[in-house]
Amino acid sequence: MSVKAFELVPAVERDLLMGDKARINIECIECCGKHLYMGTNDCFIHHFLLDEVTSSKGKLTYSAQKLLHKYLGLKKPVAELRAASALERLIVLCDGIVFLVDMVTLETVPSAAGGGAKIRGVTAFCVNENPVNGDPFCVEMGVISSKKRTVQIYMVYEDRVQLVKEVTTPEQPCAVSVDGYFLCLALATQYMILNYNTGASQDLFPYNSEDRRPIVKRIGREEFLLAAPGGLGMFANAEGVSQRAPVNWSESVIGAAVSFPYVVALDESFITIHSMLDQQLKQTLSFRDGHILQDFEGKVILASTKAVYVLVPLPLERQIQDLLASHRVEEALILTEGAQQNIPKDKFQILHKRILQQAGFIQFGQLQFLEAKEHFRTGQLDVRELISLYPLLLPASSSFTRCHPPLHEFADLNHLAQGDQEKVLRCKKFLISYLGEVRSTEVANGCREDVDTALLKLYAEQNHDSLLDLLASDNACLLADSVPWLEKYHKYFALGLLYHYNSQDSAALQLWIRVVDGDLQDSTRSGLYEYIVDFLCSCSNPDLVWKHADWALAKDPTIGVHIFTKRPVSKDVTELNPEEAITYLGKHSQALLLFLEHLVLERKIKKEKFHTHLAVLYLERVLSLLSEAPADEEHLSRARERLQALLRESNLYRAQFLLGKMENCEQLLLERATLHGKLEENGKALHILVHKLKDFSSAEAFCVWASCCRDSAYQQQLFHLLLEVYLDRSLPAKSQAAAGGGELEMAAVDLLNRHGEVFDAVRVLRMLPEGWSLQLLRPFLGRAVRASMHAGRTAQIAVGLAQSENLQLLHDRLKDRKKPIFVSEKKGCHLCHNTFSEPDVVCLPGGAPVHTHCVAQRVRDSPTKRQLTNSSNHT
Amino acid sequence: MPEVSKMKKPDVKLVLLGDMNVGKTSLLHRYTERKFKDTVSTVGGAFFLKQWGPYNISIWDTAGREQFHGLGSMYCRGAAAVILTYDVSNWQSLAELEERFLSLTDTANHDCIYALVGNKADLTDPRAQLCQDSDEASKDRMDCGEERTETQVLSACPTPPASPVSLSGITPGKQVTPEDAMALYGRILRYKGLEEKSSLPAEKMCFETSAKTGYNVDNLFEALFDLVLPSILRNTNENQHSPTVDLEECRGAKRGRPGCC
Repeated sequence: MSVKAFELVPAVERDLLMGDKARINIECIECCGKHLYMGTNDCFIHHFLLDEVTSSKGKLTYSAQKLLHKYLGLKKPVAELRAASALERLIVLCDGIVFLVDMVTLETVPSAAGGGAKIRGVTAFCVNENPVNGDPFCVEMGVISSKKRTVQIYMVYEDRVQLVKEVTTPEQPCAVSVDGYFLCLALATQYMILNYNTGASQDLFPYNSEDRRPIVKRIGREEFLLAAPGGLGMFANAEGVSQRAPVNWSESVIGAAVSFPYVVALDESFITIHSMLDQQLKQTLSFRDGHILQDFEGKVILASTKAVYVLVPLPLERQIQDLLASHRVEEALILTEGAQQNIPKDKFQILHKRILQQAGFIQFGQLQFLEAKEHFRTGQLDVRELISLYPLLLPASSSFTRCHPPLHEFADLNHLAQGDQEKVLRCKKFLISYLGEVRSTEVANGCREDVDTALLKLYAEQNHDSLLDLLASDNACLLADSVPWLEKYHKYFALGLLYHYNSQDSAALQLWIRVVDGDLQDSTRSGLYEYIVDFLCSCSNPDLVWKHADWALAKDPTIGVHIFTKRPVSKDVTELNPEEAITYLGKHSQALLLFLEHLVLERKIKKEKFHTHLAVLYLERVLSLLSEAPADEEHLSRARERLQALLRESNLYRAQFLLGKMENCEQLLLERATLHGKLEENGKALHILVHKLKDFSSAEAFCVWASCCRDSAYQQQLFHLLLEVYLDRSLPAKSQAAAGGGELEMAAVDLLNRHGEVFDAVRVLRMLPEGWSLQLLRPFLGRAVRASMHAGRTAQIAVGLAQSENLQLLHDRLKDRKKPIFVSEKKGCHLCHNTFSEPDVVCLPGGAPVHTHCVAQRVRDSPTKRQLTNSSNHT
Repeated sequence: MPEVSKMKKPDVKLVLLGDMNVGKTSLLHRYTERKFKDTVSTVGGAFFLKQWGPYNISIWDTAGREQFHGLGSMYCRGAAAVILTYDVSNWQSLAELEERFLSLTDTANHDCIYALVGNKADLTDPRAQLCQDSDEASKDRMDCGEERTETQVLSACPTPPASPVSLSGITPGKQVTPEDAMALYGRILRYKGLEEKSSLPAEKMCFETSAKTGYNVDNLFEALFDLVLPSILRNTNENQHSPTVDLEECRGAKRGRPGCC
């Protein structure tokens, strides 16, 4: 498992440098822009111009052109070279001396003070890439002096160097790196961090510098990479904390460089490349006689003793794509996310999204739906990319085209599943759940139609319960695309809903009617007929209602009539004119009856026409039942009850008209009596009830209901009328005889005993025949006497209470007024202004005494003020 | 460990320390991946980021080999909790904790908590041989803890008993009893100069686990997460303030710059 992260490209070939001189070795290199400098063991500096050449195939090569070489004249190897490009100087360490040479001419720079800018006794130095001094024309440098246990900080100017600080170390340092004020030092037995400004130090970990050359490499702000025992590359920050896990090098690492996110290390025979993100070894390149490995401004250069190479990083995207191509999703994502800081934000976001989407598709292809979904979500995948994998799901009208270059390698779902139907099914189920989740989020913005239509198709195909929910709620399903699909899967009910959602109620109804009639098969909804009735019921288009009501009524009038009776009362639904409805319902008698009942009994519409119509219908029903040969008693009695109830309850129908209709019918005496009652022909009514029907309880009931909304006098009158009818002796004897003699008398007695309270007892006693026994009327008389007694006593109590209240008030008044009223012969009456001659006076409110006769006069004159005078006598 | 890549800033740091082959990596694996797998000897150290509720907890797995010993103090720097791991079937592994590893924790936070974990309990304890759900395991542990407190004798003697097997006497192969671990815990507190009364009690901080069966493992980590919560809260409150030793602050302790000549 490896990644191709770098490519080794030769930069300066052996012959270009030293030709056939076998003993010349490269000691150090420096690269600054296109300028490559090399120090050799024979004290030469070579200057090359390094040009990048990209071939037509995109392959990068380098062409090196030698500009100059210069002998430094010290006969010692050049140990280190550092460019200070702002100063146009090379800082050279050779023979323990640091000095400056011109970058172009390679001439030694004479010091401003004369004698050359030199530092003597140096074993190693480093340049501060995070300088604390703000001067751009000044380079900060940490120097390990051969003087025991000292690190010096210098400022390097164009033509001079200046010592700014010297710090001692607990042991002799052998390698140094500096960032800001922090020196990272390899001492003889350990690494440490030393703040040269404050002198504070932090031990890192022990290390034996005699075993192996230490590596101290600044890799970023306040972070260093160190060679640790056991062949580890340890990370340490300025606080002495390791924030990344170490990378596992070989024991013999010579040099290390960082090219984010990779750590490149060189040992005797290999270049190893580890990722700093997961510490894994990513690539190994064989490289013999490696000598130097350094990174310069992001460019990793390595050198053997004879030649120079550049490690060219492959473009990140290519690396990521390679990882994805081998389905290494996690690694690809780690690499992408790790690269965040190296790529401009907007570019990174685009890249990251794309990688997430690709990763999602790879996982999708492996049926790892949970992970795929997460990546689609975070990658903000255009959901149509996914839908387009499924043949025919996207609407024909969709403008979508797959993204280019493609996000995945699949032509479509069949290609992905390789004919495995179970896989296809799982993918479909995934898409159902995914679309269901995203359709209401912003992911679906701009393609709601595509999403909803695809979802509809999947639901229909998979026979999914949510199909109806989708259609019943807010949706953007495209009608043209969905119709054939729903028809294909016999989802006619759903299709009707879709028609309805698209305001094509007529089409919806026609479709549903065909299903109910059995022309089409769809068992989605069991009570579809009732549903249609409900639908018509709340349908706002009257034409549609008129058009389809016939069908519904023909199918089942009792339910069909709900279209008219159950219409909700609201602003959205236009009211159907009842008269129109009645006319319309003319041919559906049962429905008409139900509708009229609805109008009259439920909605209590006070319209004579409806009431009469309903009464007539009831009557007709009763008559038709009566005319049947063996009368169906049960139905008949029920029909009559209804008729009677209506006749009793309603006051609006035309009683005379109805009476005319049943005039000849001897079987409907009760109804006729009721109608007479309605016409206030109480005598006739009672006559029928008592003499024809001999139904005394009905007669009593008649008296009760006929007077129920009237005053007690009317009630009394009615009951007296009944009593008279009972006691009427003027009737032919045959009826008396037929009644079995005393039957009417018994009814009269019962009536009196039962409803005694409404009668005027005195009048009753006068009416009763002499011969009746007291015993017979005992309950009535007892009650009458008791009631009379009760009334008398109640009245007495009321009088007593009123008197006592009056007395109480008088007492209170006196108490309030207390002061006496003086009456003398000298005082005048307020009304007549004559003096008083007698002690009897009347006091007006306010206590003014007046003559009694004056008050009497005044009361006579103004009766309204009667209440004001509260007479009282005082002496 | 893909989590590392996200490079979230960890809120708190836990470190696993202990002799080689006691099962530090296995413990971490068992906790993070819910399985026991063969591991190779850890090189240097490894790092795992655990999302625990809203917090990121970094757990450092260190190498037990002597070779990497020097790195330990770096890993411990700024740690809020140190898990000192030993092998219940190996007396030496407990002794090593005191001899070699305790000093590494000098760089940890001043309020760092210490847990003593005897791993490989499945070798000696029949209860640990079955993978138990953590609740049950925790109950067991608590029961034992209470039992032990009465018999606990703090030994100042760092050397092992002459014949540890016969002394513990319960199970063959068991070389370290919970009492030994608790005694060591007491010595750790003393080494740290902590009052026993104000510190967490030994029975709460000594665990026996089995990475192989999962016995008590979740329990261990979750108990520690709960205990470091105050540390996390303080770190977040101090708003990214580094939990590590501030170099600026220890100026006085270090040798100043020597005078010229």
